[in-house]
Amino acid sequence: MNDDVIMTKIIGVTGGKGGTGKSTVATALAVELAKGYKVLLVDMDTGCPNDHLLLNIKRNFVRNIFQRIPKWDFNKCTKCGLCGKLCETNAIVSIKDKGPVFIPSQCNGCGTCVIACPSKAISWERKDIGKVYEGHGFDLDFLSGELKINEPIAEFIVGDVKNELDKIKDEYDFIIIDTAAGTHCDVISSLMICDTAIAVSEPTPLGIHDMELIIDLLSRLKIPFNIVINRYEKTNETIIEKVIGRYKKRIIATIPYSKDIMEAYSKGVPITHHSIKDIARRIVK
Amino acid sequence: MKTITILSGKGGVGKSSISASLAVALSETHKIICADCDVDASNLSLVFGLQEKDYDEWKPITTNKKARLIKEKCNGCRKCLETCYFDAIAWDEKNKIPIFKEFGCEGCRACELICPNGAIEIFDVNNAKIGYGKTKYGFFVVSSQLEMGESGSGKVVSAVKNLANKKSDNSDIMIIDAAAGIGCPVIASVTGSDYVIAVTEPTPSGFSDLKRALKVVNHFGIPQGLIINKFDLNPSFSKKIERFAKDNKIKIIANIPYDKNFLNALVNLVPIIDYSPKFKPLFYDIVSKLKEELLVNDKKTKEE
Repeated sequence: MNDDVIMTKIIGVTGGKGGTGKSTVATALAVELAKGYKVLLVDMDTGCPNDHLLLNIKRNFVRNIFQRIPKWDFNKCTKCGLCGKLCETNAIVSIKDKGPVFIPSQCNGCGTCVIACPSKAISWERKDIGKVYEGHGFDLDFLSGELKINEPIAEFIVGDVKNELDKIKDEYDFIIIDTAAGTHCDVISSLMICDTAIAVSEPTPLGIHDMELIIDLLSRLKIPFNIVINRYEKTNETIIEKVIGRYKKRIIATIPYSKDIMEAYSKGVPITHHSIKDIARRIVK
Repeated sequence: MKTITILSGKGGVGKSSISASLAVALSETHKIICADCDVDASNLSLVFGLQEKDYDEWKPITTNKKARLIKEKCNGCRKCLETCYFDAIAWDEKNKIPIFKEFGCEGCRACELICPNGAIEIFDVNNAKIGYGKTKYGFFVVSSQLEMGESGSGKVVSAVKNLANKKSDNSDIMIIDAAAGIGCPVIASVTGSDYVIAVTEPTPSGFSDLKRALKVVNHFGIPQGLIINKFDLNPSFSKKIERFAKDNKIKIIANIPYDKNFLNALVNLVPIIDYSPKFKPLFYDIVSKLKEELLVNDKKTKEE
């Protein structure tokens, strides 16, 4: 290895289906890498952030995250109804000759109403949509975003944490990004800054179905990826052979299906199975 | 028709497995329909052994719009770039024109309205496919799959619920299987439900996500019941969840033991109730508790 030029490597841990072990792998991998490198773990599952629970790290509040929302000056409003007509997210309900009713939780802050209002009656205010946290433990640093309850747009929280990340990323050898379940905007936004990704899947038809989706996404984003099969056991080998035979070269580790691992997980202890060391070795290489 | 939504916050705690077996148990005495509202990664029908290719119908739907540039009209003023709140427009320095990115556009029309030259037009996007199929248990499942990278999952969830309503044909009960998380698609799934079943597991993550998901449900004032899956993996933690349920007056409608047959059933694409008949009493019990709960809540609503 050339020690003169050390580039920060950003690794996304994702999977499509929920509960396949994304956070388990992300936290265990971060802990393993932190034994020899400077590591930042970023929890981008902003709806249900759990990495701090898995590692028992105390989260420190950094700041609130805000989103802009429109505000009406009813002295200027002519009740023309245009804002309600244009609002794509149905956050503004306006009937002609009656004033607009605004539902802040539906608003994505696009600004179309502000631009369109013929009497310039709409300006901006802001709503609180989430929080940024940081923490330390296991010789690693930790960063996390959390969506406020009933706020729909997780992607904004991810975007904000990405800005935070931009400021500090050069301080680290490795940054591990744990994404949410699914393949939606917040997952896409999280993956976009990754140099490489690990898709964590389980050998069930559901796990494989969703893994195909995330592989499709990673291919479109042109992010190189590897696969980790969690809850692997011999009896399911036919599924693995049959359905993901074509990805076989990409499977860099398998984690067995064991009640011991599940019990450790349920007690909030990071797993130390040798498969995690295998993944770490591959990543460092 | 009563609508029951099954959610969990955390993924992989057993929502779809439990939804499917509950649906089969309910269908023995009621006319039901299922709606898979996990439009990011829909797989409820797989649990019934119903493959996408065996659906009665699939069709593309449009719930989203996107912007595109009419190059000849653009004078490179960059106003669209400054206006876009979603970072969906980039700048092509060489050609001095905006580039509309593959991901990110919400179809809000802000750029179209701000453009002084009429150089931006909005077009409809087929952002999902939606379909329905009949399970071997006699009832329909309605599903949808969002096209990769497309936004608008909340609206697609509403489309699934609408189609399920249309296909319900005087059903008594609609079962909605929600996505993981607590964001837009989950909020859209819960809206308008008569009852919510929250599924959790005795892990710190499962419990934390459960509490966040229930806050969303409470916002809508929907009555709720709780299922603790794999409760015997960490009995003392399960006790903690039970105490939480008691303090918040949430009825526990089932404690489901950890059993490898759940995994084997999934692998074999058969609902656990059908794969391993010893679980029949458990799901029949959930059905009877659910009926009690719905009756009690009906009464409450009438009294109010």
